[in-house]
Amino acid sequence: MGNDPKNFKQVNHSVTKVDARQLALGKDSYVADFAPANALVVKMLWSPHPHARIVSLDVSEAEKMPGVKAVLWHGNVPRIAHCTAGQGFPEPSPYDTFMFDTKVRFVGDRVAAVAAESAEQAEAAVAAIKVEYELLKPVLSIDEAMAPDAPIIHDEPEAHVPIPIPYDPKTNLVARVACEAGDFEKGMKEADFAFDDTYETPYAQACPIEPYTSLAQLDSSGRIVITTSTQVPFHCRRIVARTLDVPVQKVRVIKPRIGGGFGCKQEVLLEDVVAMFALRTGRPVLWQFTREETFRTGRTRHPMRVRIRAGVKKDGTITALGMDCWNNTGAYGGHGLTVVSCSGSKVLPLYRCENIHFDGKVLYTNLPVGGAYRGFGATQAFFAMESTIEQMAEAIGMDPMEFRQKNHIKSGEGSPIFAALGEGKEGVPMTVGSNALAECIVKGAEEVGWKNRTDWRSKSGRYRRGIGMACLMQGSSIPHIDMGGAWIKINDDASFNLMFGATDIGTGADTVLAQIAAEELATTVDKIIVYASDTDLTPFDVGAYASSTTYLSGEAVRKAAAEAKRQLLASGAEMLNLPVETLHCEDSAVQNADGSKKVSYADIAAYTLYQKNQYQIFGTASHITEKSPPPFAAHFAEIEVDTWTGFIRVLNYISTIDCGTAINPALCEGQTEGGTLNGISYALTEEYIFRNGRMTNPSFADYHIYSMRDRPPIKAILVPSYEETGPFGAKSVSEICINGPAPVFANAIYNATGARIREFPFTPERVLNAIKAVKREA
Amino acid sequence: MNQYPMTVSFTLNGEKRTFATAPGENLLDLLRRSGLRGTKFGCGQGTCGACTVLLDGRAVNACLLFVGQVEGREVCTIESVGSFDKSSEIQQELIDGSAVQCGYCIPGIVMSATALMKAETKYDDEIVREYMDGNICRCTGYEKIWGALRRVLDRREASLAKVEGSGSKS
Amino acid sequence: MKLCEFIRPTSLSEARDKLRELGPQGMALAGGTALHFLQDQTTRRAVDITRLGLSFIRKEGDFYVVGATTPLADIQRYRAPDWTLHEVCRRIATHQVRNISTIGGNICRVFPWADLPVVLLALDARMVVFSDKEEEIVSDEFFDGQPTQRFADGSLLTAVKVPLLRAHQGFGVVKVSRNSAAFSLVTMAVSLELDGEVIKTVRVAAGGAVPFPRRLPTVEAALVGREAKSEVFREAATKADSDVSWRGRESLSPDYVRQLAEVSLHDALERAVSFARARNA
Ligand SMILES: Cc1cc2nc3c(=O)[nH]c(=O)nc-3n(C[C@H](O)[C@H](O)[C@H](O)COP(=O)(O)OP(=O)(O)OC[C@H]3O[C@@H](n4cnc5c(N)ncnc54)[C@H](O)[C@@H]3O)c2cc1C
Ligand code: FES
Ligand code: FES
Repeated sequence: MGNDPKNFKQVNHSVTKVDARQLALGKDSYVADFAPANALVVKMLWSPHPHARIVSLDVSEAEKMPGVKAVLWHGNVPRIAHCTAGQGFPEPSPYDTFMFDTKVRFVGDRVAAVAAESAEQAEAAVAAIKVEYELLKPVLSIDEAMAPDAPIIHDEPEAHVPIPIPYDPKTNLVARVACEAGDFEKGMKEADFAFDDTYETPYAQACPIEPYTSLAQLDSSGRIVITTSTQVPFHCRRIVARTLDVPVQKVRVIKPRIGGGFGCKQEVLLEDVVAMFALRTGRPVLWQFTREETFRTGRTRHPMRVRIRAGVKKDGTITALGMDCWNNTGAYGGHGLTVVSCSGSKVLPLYRCENIHFDGKVLYTNLPVGGAYRGFGATQAFFAMESTIEQMAEAIGMDPMEFRQKNHIKSGEGSPIFAALGEGKEGVPMTVGSNALAECIVKGAEEVGWKNRTDWRSKSGRYRRGIGMACLMQGSSIPHIDMGGAWIKINDDASFNLMFGATDIGTGADTVLAQIAAEELATTVDKIIVYASDTDLTPFDVGAYASSTTYLSGEAVRKAAAEAKRQLLASGAEMLNLPVETLHCEDSAVQNADGSKKVSYADIAAYTLYQKNQYQIFGTASHITEKSPPPFAAHFAEIEVDTWTGFIRVLNYISTIDCGTAINPALCEGQTEGGTLNGISYALTEEYIFRNGRMTNPSFADYHIYSMRDRPPIKAILVPSYEETGPFGAKSVSEICINGPAPVFANAIYNATGARIREFPFTPERVLNAIKAVKREA
Repeated sequence: MNQYPMTVSFTLNGEKRTFATAPGENLLDLLRRSGLRGTKFGCGQGTCGACTVLLDGRAVNACLLFVGQVEGREVCTIESVGSFDKSSEIQQELIDGSAVQCGYCIPGIVMSATALMKAETKYDDEIVREYMDGNICRCTGYEKIWGALRRVLDRREASLAKVEGSGSKS
Repeated sequence: MKLCEFIRPTSLSEARDKLRELGPQGMALAGGTALHFLQDQTTRRAVDITRLGLSFIRKEGDFYVVGATTPLADIQRYRAPDWTLHEVCRRIATHQVRNISTIGGNICRVFPWADLPVVLLALDARMVVFSDKEEEIVSDEFFDGQPTQRFADGSLLTAVKVPLLRAHQGFGVVKVSRNSAAFSLVTMAVSLELDGEVIKTVRVAAGGAVPFPRRLPTVEAALVGREAKSEVFREAATKADSDVSWRGRESLSPDYVRQLAEVSLHDALERAVSFARARNA
């Protein structure tokens, strides 16, 4: 970025990712790369039934099979209710999971596990386990979950939420969160045009190319060391300790490089089992999910039903905005409440409106378990919201872009929703600081050619083109809940060890945080040695979620670096014999204003480590946030619809984003491009197909994500702003981009054909049927 | 019971090697347990490309190949492509172009691109897409990977054209 | 399926003898990529047939002859006048899979998604099968049921012979899938011969959405003697219903698949016609 007012030297530059070379060379980096040759291999017997009680389970034969070292099942492990979702503690989520239970609640639930010398032996032993099930009536939709005589999925007495929030497993209700601002009904009455539409969003899996993988071994002192593909090492330690009934002190969790997470690894799904096997056998134990297991048992995006009731006046004022959500969390409730809260809190504030209604319900079903997934509830709700906004504009005869420009939240404005909706408790009042949405819209519109957009009624022929748009926001961290810590120390050669708990899952967080440290210290990124996410060696951090790493952990790093800098200045002053107020740091040295007197960091390191008044220059800091400043985005796309088949071709996709200062512009673009493409396939081709609660397409051959050959051109445009509360003006970047494609395509399909589709993926059949319905009406 | 009752011999990264193995073992498992862990497991079904290696110069899925199929043939893995001191041109462009996010797909991408450069002399977009269609990346959206490949391939195509041009003159 | 032995014969007759000797225990292994789709727990002895000199493409008389173990990638890369097989091969699976899987493997055991049988039916190809001697089998006969039965006695496919296109003949194939590497929803292949603007002869085959790849005789009858134009194609395509019943694919209903098949058939006919016209221009 050429016109950089702050004259940053390290941040706001696309420095090379610190781990890029080791990864491109294929050096040992990921969990499975570290498995010792003698590691046992785990295989799990999974439930083939969506809902059943285990009447009897006989592992005796399996235990005797060749190579088998241990078998775990409900009869030989502690029964401790816990929550697998890695979140703040105590969690706003039910403790409804056991290491092994006497009941199975979805196809892919645990029944019994085997650790053996080889995968084949473990598989053979799994096949030898005898189970007798009593089949229970499954609950296969949110409607079935809410039916008056619905089967109770969690009838175990232990199920409870550790904090006082609504939880009623007898009616399959996992959580409910509601709020109201102004007078919603009055707002609806004041409207010239009223809307009441219901939208459905589908299941999806994050599909990290590295499947879930965990490795446990006992160190020489008998402690359990878990190396795992996780987004939440510290939560993992806490949850594993609880589940195994061992002290936290006994567990160490290490996160090496991670082959993608996108949310689905914000969960403890393997670690308790490998840890228990390590304790039982004393052997290293490796468990890597197959792709099928990643689809079935791995966490998914919550399918959601979103009803929007809204009103608009002819002059374009939005008089009422109401959102009711029914969130299908599947068999376990880990992220149910937090996801649905975000459907409200990350979406409703985007447009000015005084009369707001929100009601989110979360329901158990006997389907795959919802978890965290990039976008986290906002993805589902934006589809409904941005489809509604478009209809409002059409009703009053205004260009949908202009309508958004008129109504979107501006810098200095707040929303009652910020204070009303938190995660498990009330939110935090907030006014928006940095906001370049207006510019995002202008730039994106220009790039896509918005002004040439024509009405669908003027289009004919088999192939019809359409242009659609959507505006988006998200947040950056969870205020007063999330905490990140960092520390930094100097070495002889003026290199620095930077250690933090924050969790780079492939996003480039280690690089971004190194840039922040280098900027604050007036040194260069190559002088920073990053070590992160090791519960023994690094400070605490909640982990990689809620778009918090740059904004929250980044500020912790900046503060720790500032503390180290203070010490560098003090020692520099001592060495130069000058008053510290006259000195500053520049180019890895402490110097006076005109640079005539200076001492290098290397000399300061030598002095403080070896020569006089020796001490370790060492900065440490923690950070919690007061705000969750939203990044903003405007997305645009041009598509072509084959009106004979319903197939959609994406001709061009524009993803603009205001993420504050882009600490590393190339990585910010990379996040935006990747999240956008994921959103595109989510909208068009990704699908969980079920038969009797069983997913029938758990492989990349049948679950369609895009290859380089499918990829449409995506243009990411970073639009700078400066968030005063963030490190060097930064806020979050990675989640928001996935929210765009579904509403953008819905609007583009409408613009091409006049068909308004309220459920995706936009399968060719759905599109064709909608086009035919338009023709019938005409 | 011997877990590995048979042997297989092939050239691995330029070296003739013999391994004890089982008829049902796939090349990916053999490589990884033999210490070549740069080749990754992503699906085991030929659908992701994380396990891509070169067999007689062509990109193949190591997870789909039974070890018996590579007897006497030549296998190249990511370990043969670059080192810390000297990365290949493709690796360097991927690194410089910020195309490496989680990195899990990258060794496979490097292998497919290497095969492409070996096999073809013209690299129009459609050919590149066809050579690269078996390597899934969930992180990058492919934009930066595509950019890096294009830069390498455009340079190479230009230099091949030059060589050809000067050849025809003489 | 599991492998318990790996045998590498060096000649065709040795391979056949080995397979005969092993009986149902043995199995010819070409690319070996199909084994991953066979989820049964049987144990087999693999007889590697990729080292028998059966990987080649050459022109012989009125045919292109493709060796049975020629990888799909080679077929995709091959270029010669009126060469047609590359079109479908570039749409099968991924580059890595195309590098290993062979034309023989694709057609000797036909999976519901197999694309080459559809094309070979439309092109009226001949399969060369070796048991005691080589025998040529026309595509209609070869694909009349699962071809594996034919190879149970240790016979092997050695080559596929694709007739050269005659003057005024054209070919078109359409494979519809959700993304580039996905299995076919519908694959339609057409070869036809024009007499001026009139369709003189035509072969139409369908795959993907049908239980087994097959010709569509009612559609063919509705096309012969008619003018080669879009309306005629659409009308003829609706006749496919009497030849096959379409299956739902993925989340798509049978009724949608029928409509998709009709459009794909129309598009394949359009391609075949422009192919024919371009050749004679
Ligand atoms: C991920 C993936 C996606 C795919 N997608 C598609 C697709 O969309 N469309 C498509 O058409 N194909 C597709 N395929 C390929 C197809 O499904 C088969 O895997 C492939 O064609 C088999 O070829 P092969 O050489 O590997 O055969 P093998 O696996 O070696 O053999 C297959 C069968 O044929 C027999 N056989 C092989 N050669 C001979 C011979 N010469 N004589 C007698 N019997 C023989 C074998 O005994 C075996 O029963 C895909 C494959 C994969 C892995
Ligand atoms: S692991 Fe081989 S293709 Fe995915
Ligand atoms: S960089 Fe993560 S899958 Fe490609």
